[in-house]
Amino acid sequence: MSAIAISSKYVGGRRDVKNIPAVIHPSVHPFSSDMFNSMSDTEEFRVLDLKQKKQTPFRRKFKKQDVMPPRTTMMPVDQDWGNVWPGPRTFHPAVVPLPVRQGYNEKDAPPGKFGNAELMKIPNFLHLTPPVVTSDYCHSSPDIRNPLARIVTIKVKLGRLPLNKHARDKILRLVGERYNPENDVLTIMTDRCPLRQQNLDYAHYLLTALFHESWKIEPWESEKSEADMEYYDWEASASRKSVMRLLSWSPDQDAVQISADFILSDLTEYKEAISKIMNEGEEEYTLNRYKEEVKKLLSLQDVSSTE
Amino acid sequence: MVYNFFKNLTSEATLRGISSVLHKQRLFCTAAQASQILATNEKHITSFRTAESNPLKHNFDHAYRFYTIPVEVKNQLFQHGGLPKYFNEQAKAFMETCVMVRDPALEILHYLKTADYSRPAIRYVIYGESGCGKSITLAHILHYGLTAGFLLIHVPWVPNWMRVCKEVSNSATREGYVDLNLDAAEWLIHFKNQNAALLNNIDLRVSKEYAWSKREKTEEGVPLLELVEHGINRVKYASECVVALVKEIKLHSTQGRCKTLVVIDGFNAFFHPRTRVVTAEKIQVPPSKITLTEAFIEITKYDWCNGAVILTVDKTGVADDRRESFLPIYQLGKEGFEHLDPFVPISVREYSEKELESCLDYYVDRRWLQNEKSFTEEGRKELKYLCGMNPRRLMHVCAPL
Amino acid sequence: MAPLNMVFGSVLRKNIIFNNAEVLYKRVNLVNAYSMYGPQFVEPVYKKDKQESMYESGEIENILHVPVKAARVDATCSVFHDELVRKFTNLVMRDGRKILARELIEEAFEKIKRIQLQRYHSTEDPEKKTSVLTDPLKIFHAALANSKPVLQLTPIKRGGVTYQVPVPITDKRSQFLAMKWIILAAKDKDPKVHFPEKLAWELVDAAGNQGKVVKKKQDLHRQCEANRAYAHYRWS
Repeated sequence: MSAIAISSKYVGGRRDVKNIPAVIHPSVHPFSSDMFNSMSDTEEFRVLDLKQKKQTPFRRKFKKQDVMPPRTTMMPVDQDWGNVWPGPRTFHPAVVPLPVRQGYNEKDAPPGKFGNAELMKIPNFLHLTPPVVTSDYCHSSPDIRNPLARIVTIKVKLGRLPLNKHARDKILRLVGERYNPENDVLTIMTDRCPLRQQNLDYAHYLLTALFHESWKIEPWESEKSEADMEYYDWEASASRKSVMRLLSWSPDQDAVQISADFILSDLTEYKEAISKIMNEGEEEYTLNRYKEEVKKLLSLQDVSSTE
Repeated sequence: MVYNFFKNLTSEATLRGISSVLHKQRLFCTAAQASQILATNEKHITSFRTAESNPLKHNFDHAYRFYTIPVEVKNQLFQHGGLPKYFNEQAKAFMETCVMVRDPALEILHYLKTADYSRPAIRYVIYGESGCGKSITLAHILHYGLTAGFLLIHVPWVPNWMRVCKEVSNSATREGYVDLNLDAAEWLIHFKNQNAALLNNIDLRVSKEYAWSKREKTEEGVPLLELVEHGINRVKYASECVVALVKEIKLHSTQGRCKTLVVIDGFNAFFHPRTRVVTAEKIQVPPSKITLTEAFIEITKYDWCNGAVILTVDKTGVADDRRESFLPIYQLGKEGFEHLDPFVPISVREYSEKELESCLDYYVDRRWLQNEKSFTEEGRKELKYLCGMNPRRLMHVCAPL
Repeated sequence: MAPLNMVFGSVLRKNIIFNNAEVLYKRVNLVNAYSMYGPQFVEPVYKKDKQESMYESGEIENILHVPVKAARVDATCSVFHDELVRKFTNLVMRDGRKILARELIEEAFEKIKRIQLQRYHSTEDPEKKTSVLTDPLKIFHAALANSKPVLQLTPIKRGGVTYQVPVPITDKRSQFLAMKWIILAAKDKDPKVHFPEKLAWELVDAAGNQGKVVKKKQDLHRQCEANRAYAHYRWS
């Protein structure tokens, strides 16, 4: 189609050349027979042509070279496309058997694929047809492999690792953000080595190191105070101490002390209430629960009970 | 119409779980009976006002109604502070001091009436948004304490000491401590003003000898008032006197000679490290290094009985790095919480619909709402939305109307 | 007015005669040349009751499909809104600090209420008691009404001599003068006294037909009376 368009343009060009009136002038061709004839026929004065028109220089006839028809015409339907277009290359209209068009014509259809610079400018993915592509990562750079493919992520369910309370606490502190408490999964991602295998090795190394490090107990760990605790431990808190002292207090210092076991059995709900405040934050709901528990603890009557 | 009124009454009664409807009818009767009572005491039988000015008898029947604090009681309790400044001005304009009987106060009164006083003193912590009526609740409870014969230990506003203390001097007896003697003496006068009548009745004596200096000492066995007088007269020892006085009261209370009600407004100021108390060397003093703090920390401990401790925490009482929330544990901080735990948190909320209506009625009655539009339903609705049910804001919104 | 009438006559190609600029503005819906609103825009009606009455009377039909100017920031449908107080606030305002101005006026109103309540409570006689006005808004209106002058002096030069000629003034001008005098009187104070307090006293005094502002008005009237002989210079 496009080829036809080009040829028709060429024809048009020829027509233009033809249309130019051929003025043959005696001064240019002094010895032409035509001139002699006219002189002898009319016997008139020669017209002085002051406005001599230059003879157009002889232009060689443009000969169109014979070109082979596009390869696409001879392509079998069931060819192996991977062999035709093995790697990334610029678009070639004669190789791609598709009626693609690209660009803009004001009054016509978009230009076809032949002689279309637009199609050559844009990146193409013709080397990445489904039968060719087998890897996860590929892109249109000269190298089919994506550099991101080297990154390795390993995920470990933390519950499956043999850790005690201390080791688990320590590993959580060491991994920080990499642990997801919602599904108990530890994610280690390595990307510092150029090859995938190296990164995988490194991830394994990291996991091993983390595991062994978490089992180590440093001498300064005994100095861990309440503020460093990751959750509120009521048993070790000042609140428990003060409650115990309050419950066992009496104005008469010699009075019988209430046994600790008896108190503790009463206190589980109180403990829960206060732990909830400390762990989940102070808000109207947790505070109300704390109030109810305190009222129970101090045996205060409910307001509604008297009415 | 009368039928409707009774229907409302009964539904109200069932809501609050009050069994005796008859009782209510007697209190707030309608039609024929009402006219009789109106004739006798026109002023007091209204839907927003209760004639019951004895807080001992206040119960949920009086809720949402205003009661009057008698002038002599007001002079005794609040002459040296205790009522918010604007509230005081308001009282002056109204020619009376009226306080609304509200749920938190009733709740505390109920606890105070039913608590076991042989057990350690219970700490109640009042909290709420600023302007919701924490200090007014305290005033109501103070009135109760006075009527019920409690010995009152009342601090009108702790942040006053931490922010605008009158004089700072180094303590003579304790290393590194600071005395606020003028403030302490002022507090002693306040204490004396509130309790002199009671202290003259019950015989409390100093349990041990206090030597203030080489020549001055308070002998064992002199009346407690003498200790107070000494602090007032010899301002130099006022701080120490406060500490001694509080310890004495604690002792007497534990031994059952008196009942004590500790009421402290802005208690969280004792637990915020930043104060404006500076020594002569321009060093900021934390509250823990102020002698007065020790006294009131001591009296808010659990290790005494025959008493109750009522505190408020207020976010306006501390520096602005602790104003994100008004909730008590945040306001007290870790140290304060550990000191008070276990305490009973009491929330003071914004006005409910009924309380707001009652308050507006009261303002109209006191001619505080004068704009004609404020008597209309629409005007009241607008006031309600403008103040966001906050009592203080309502007061300010109503001021120019 | 005459040149203005000529201008409008030529512009509108109608023979219009207005002897009052206000009427003219209303009639031709004159707009500021640089206004963001075209001449077809109408003023917003922001009062609920006004709107309702317009619906009832059917007046709303006239402006139902006409573009409306955006309401000004101080236009509110609050039931407590008062046009005179709004105007007064704007006169009290300096440097565009309207919030401050409003606060000052609210404070003054509160103070008025306190003063009057004290008076109310201190009067024993029940009949006199009811006569004590405690509504600050009413007091404000009364004060304003009492301070409004009906005449003013304007300098007119005749035969090389400038005469102070008494002329009647419009209601708007006299309202402006009253407000201005009240504010000036309130500003003439000891620096220790707050503006709202002094303003409150001035308003209470003026409402009782006494005080500085009322005296000023009476002085002006007296002077007008004295200069009545020059009155004809107004037109001759």
